[in-house]
Amino acid sequence: MSQTLNFYQDGATWIHRLNPVTKLAFVAAVTIAAFGVENLWWPAVLFLLLEIPAAIAAGVTTRFIKLVLGFFAPFLVILFLLQGLTYPDPGTVLVELGPLAVKTEGLVFAGTTALRLLVMVSAFIVLLLTTHPGTLMSAMQQAGLPPKIAYVISATMQIIPAFQARAGAIMQAQQARGLDLGSGGALTRARRLVPLMGPLLLGALTDVENRSIAMESRAFGSPRRPTAFTIVPDSVGQRLARWAMILLAVLAIALHTLGVL
Amino acid sequence: MPTTRRYPPWLLITAGSAIIITTYLFLVVWQPESLVGGAGVGPAALIALAGYLIGSGLIIAGAMARMPTSTVTLLPIAIAINIVAGQINNMVGLPLYLDSIGTVLVGLLAGPAAGAATGALSNVIWGISISPASLPYSTTQVVIGLLAGVFARWGWTRRVPTAVAAGVATGVVAAFVSGPISAFIFGGANASAGRSAIVAVFQTLGLDTLGASIAQGLTVDPLDKSIAFLVAVIILRALPSRFSQRFPFAREHSVFAPRSASVLARARDVDVLAGADRASVSASIAATAPAATSAAANGQDGDGSGAAPSASGTDTTQDEEGGRL
Repeated sequence: MSQTLNFYQDGATWIHRLNPVTKLAFVAAVTIAAFGVENLWWPAVLFLLLEIPAAIAAGVTTRFIKLVLGFFAPFLVILFLLQGLTYPDPGTVLVELGPLAVKTEGLVFAGTTALRLLVMVSAFIVLLLTTHPGTLMSAMQQAGLPPKIAYVISATMQIIPAFQARAGAIMQAQQARGLDLGSGGALTRARRLVPLMGPLLLGALTDVENRSIAMESRAFGSPRRPTAFTIVPDSVGQRLARWAMILLAVLAIALHTLGVL
Repeated sequence: MPTTRRYPPWLLITAGSAIIITTYLFLVVWQPESLVGGAGVGPAALIALAGYLIGSGLIIAGAMARMPTSTVTLLPIAIAINIVAGQINNMVGLPLYLDSIGTVLVGLLAGPAAGAATGALSNVIWGISISPASLPYSTTQVVIGLLAGVFARWGWTRRVPTAVAAGVATGVVAAFVSGPISAFIFGGANASAGRSAIVAVFQTLGLDTLGASIAQGLTVDPLDKSIAFLVAVIILRALPSRFSQRFPFAREHSVFAPRSASVLARARDVDVLAGADRASVSASIAATAPAATSAAANGQDGDGSGAAPSASGTDTTQDEEGGRL
């Protein structure tokens, strides 16, 4: 499990300063464009011309490559093994290995799917590397996301690290009572989860009541819209850019359907 | 932004469900010809992504609009349980998911709409934090949360065997819902090598990618969801009954059966299982334990904080329950 639930890398580039909603629109636009156009190399072009420059401009290149590879490499191997060897539709057979067959169509299918996913995931990673989760939520709330949903999302991000800290404390407490963590086979290890997970879950769930009382006493859930403590800057230019990106993506699909692209 | 809501929440939920169902039917009917052109799944993937995400978004908005604060504060914990367990599962490499325990938990406690919202938000948050690949699967979780609530409403979670059966049924539906996502967006492959190997086996046996993905789901999901139901029921039974009694849904539909064997409890069981017998049972108890009749007739368990005070019969029940816990 990762230590914290965020990828955010601090920085002061223009990509960091963009309104998160604009970056979200970018994610949506490239995803639409990547999936909407039937061409093997088109997603690769999007990746090389839009996403890699964005990562370089934001100064997060190293971590970007590391994260993209970390997610993508195992997936790529699995996808090529799966569709390369067992592609179900008829096609040109390159190599036959008993019940398995390497088909050109299978490799093309694996390649296209892999590249499309690469575009979608990398766009997300650019967004997450350059946007603080808190800023993302504030911006989404300013864009009209209901406060209850924003609360659930940001509270979850904070609760998972707190869970880890609490799990550590419970483990130490049980060890102090003589719980042996070191030895045993798989079954013993599984049974040992009970004294660790039990207090963790039960404690977390009994906290719910106190938290909801505290929140209601602070007018959570009142129909009046709360004002924001941090105002995320937005501009007319960015607002136009969002629509322009989505329109461009749709235009790419339209051009492709007409046979131009 | 104006604070007034132009649409009632149920309209959003209905619209969201309609979009998801339309997307699904469209994909399943249209699929056979779209794969013929080699790599021609792009539009199908786009439609799957857009339709499922918009549908889930509408359901989240509709379900969250009227949600009481006690349920809202439960969601982050349920979602954290989902994400942590799912992430551990992916790291260990089990061919399961284990990412819907929290969803089932909320479905049982707070009803179908809350369960659906938990499921959808769970995968959205997992997607925007550590694992972007789980974002498209939020619709599967919507269905799981919804069904958990429905089965709890029908009383399937009162006994362990029926709870497991509810898990199996939920798993079958989940497999059919997630099939198009796996096939069109991910090309049948999976973050877990174990699950992908199952798809490969089914493709070798002659199924197409969609069929193989659904078949893979059918081998894994029923087991996975019955584990989720079982764990959720065990967790909720381990908690003091005061906790589940605070949720109106769990209280009104007595989602968790009382575990005592006293005369009162048996009367309550009959009351819970067969509504037709209600009058006669109440009448028969009335002679022995007059105060408890009102609790039984209300359909309440009588062992929680929601029970009427001042009634001596109810107090006795509380003591019995407390001793057993």
